[in-house]
Amino acid sequence: MFFKSKSNQLTTESVLKQLSQVQDPDLRKDIVSLGFIKNLKIEGSKVSFQVELTTPACPVKEQLKEQCKEVVKSLEGVSEVDVEMTANVRSSATQSNRISLPSVRNVIAVASGKGGVGKSTVTINLAMALASEGARVGLLDADIYGPSIPLMMGTLHEKPESRDKRVIPIEREGVKMMSMGYLIPEGEPVVWRGPMVHGALTQFLSQVEWGELDYLLIDMPPGTGDAQLTISQSAPLSGAIIVTTPQEVSLIDARKGLKMFQNVKVPILGVVENMSGFVCGHCHEVTQVFRKGGGEKMAAEMGVSILGSIPLDPQIAETSDSGNPIVVSQPQSEIAKGYKKIARDMAAKLSVMSLENSGQFKPVTMEWQ
Amino acid sequence: MALAPLELKQMGAQHLGIIWNDGHQSLFNVRNLRLKCRCANCVDEWTREKILKDETVPLDVKPRRIESVGRYALKVDWSDGHDTGIYTFEHLRAHCECPLCKPR
Repeated sequence: MFFKSKSNQLTTESVLKQLSQVQDPDLRKDIVSLGFIKNLKIEGSKVSFQVELTTPACPVKEQLKEQCKEVVKSLEGVSEVDVEMTANVRSSATQSNRISLPSVRNVIAVASGKGGVGKSTVTINLAMALASEGARVGLLDADIYGPSIPLMMGTLHEKPESRDKRVIPIEREGVKMMSMGYLIPEGEPVVWRGPMVHGALTQFLSQVEWGELDYLLIDMPPGTGDAQLTISQSAPLSGAIIVTTPQEVSLIDARKGLKMFQNVKVPILGVVENMSGFVCGHCHEVTQVFRKGGGEKMAAEMGVSILGSIPLDPQIAETSDSGNPIVVSQPQSEIAKGYKKIARDMAAKLSVMSLENSGQFKPVTMEWQ
Repeated sequence: MALAPLELKQMGAQHLGIIWNDGHQSLFNVRNLRLKCRCANCVDEWTREKILKDETVPLDVKPRRIESVGRYALKVDWSDGHDTGIYTFEHLRAHCECPLCKPR
């Protein structure tokens, strides 16, 4: 390009042509044909535009921004480039005949099969990680018998208000939450049979004023019973994440949890291996308390991907018990970074699914004449 | 892409048509579908023996309403009052009665 004619003026077309060299690595298309470029303005030698990504939690946001700047700057006659990164989360939530959540774009179940593997901790920190990137996030505690969200989010004593027969969720750091823990007196057990659990979950989905959400995470109870069936039959699920610890006794249940979602055709977004080794605070040596690599092994066996692993760290338990999730209270820690990476990868997966249309599912109904 | 129905169609008085997302078109006699119900009231959960007596099902039984359940199955509300049966997409496709799948 040494012989640019002088009449070669800066035009929208020439800028777009330059920008079409920039590829979104997840969606594997250039950002111009993906329709990401908005409000392109050329004022003299100054070019400004917005790049509208499919998630604010984009794993390569900074990289894309730099690339955009670079390619436009290389155009003759450009002195200044102003790039603003924005996001419009695409919907991969399926519709459902039973419960429709039209203002929620993605509904994700976080499940494990086995109890005590840190599902709630993982769910909460993923929710906080997504919110910290600017996404609108909801968190539904589907563990009716053992709700832990209120304690872990430091909202144990809050009571939700209702307006026009709709319940207003509790909010913390921008994350909207609903849990059985907000509705029953502290310390009281919920002694219910299955149909009551079904009713409560249905109400949590349909009568809570979730508003506009990019991501609604559902913290599932352990097991493959009533609650799991209700959620997978009635909720418009986009996908599921399976949490496991590395040892066989956890994997054996995690496989069943995963298989259950596969049976009901809910896409698996990936596996998170929790309590994956303990890092010594003094010598930094890693001790594999619960053995090594179980999550990866299971993911490979079942043909799903591993989203990441989170080590065992006393800070996690401490921050959870005190109601200050580690992603919020220690955002610069390695663990918080680990959670953010998992959240970004999950968001990227959902974007790919919604653009490829593979995540879409339309319910059918008919009345016989 | 996971197998899923795009459209359900009533074909005359006794047949249900399903258009699938891979282009295949299934055809079912609705009474056969009713007789093949695999719910716990129709098939014993432990022994897998059929409990439903075919002769108790009216000859003109027909669906009242059909709707999808989650993203894996159809639920049928039948004219004989039976409404606990869930038919997975895979099962329906495997038992398709169209002339291509079930040549006479």
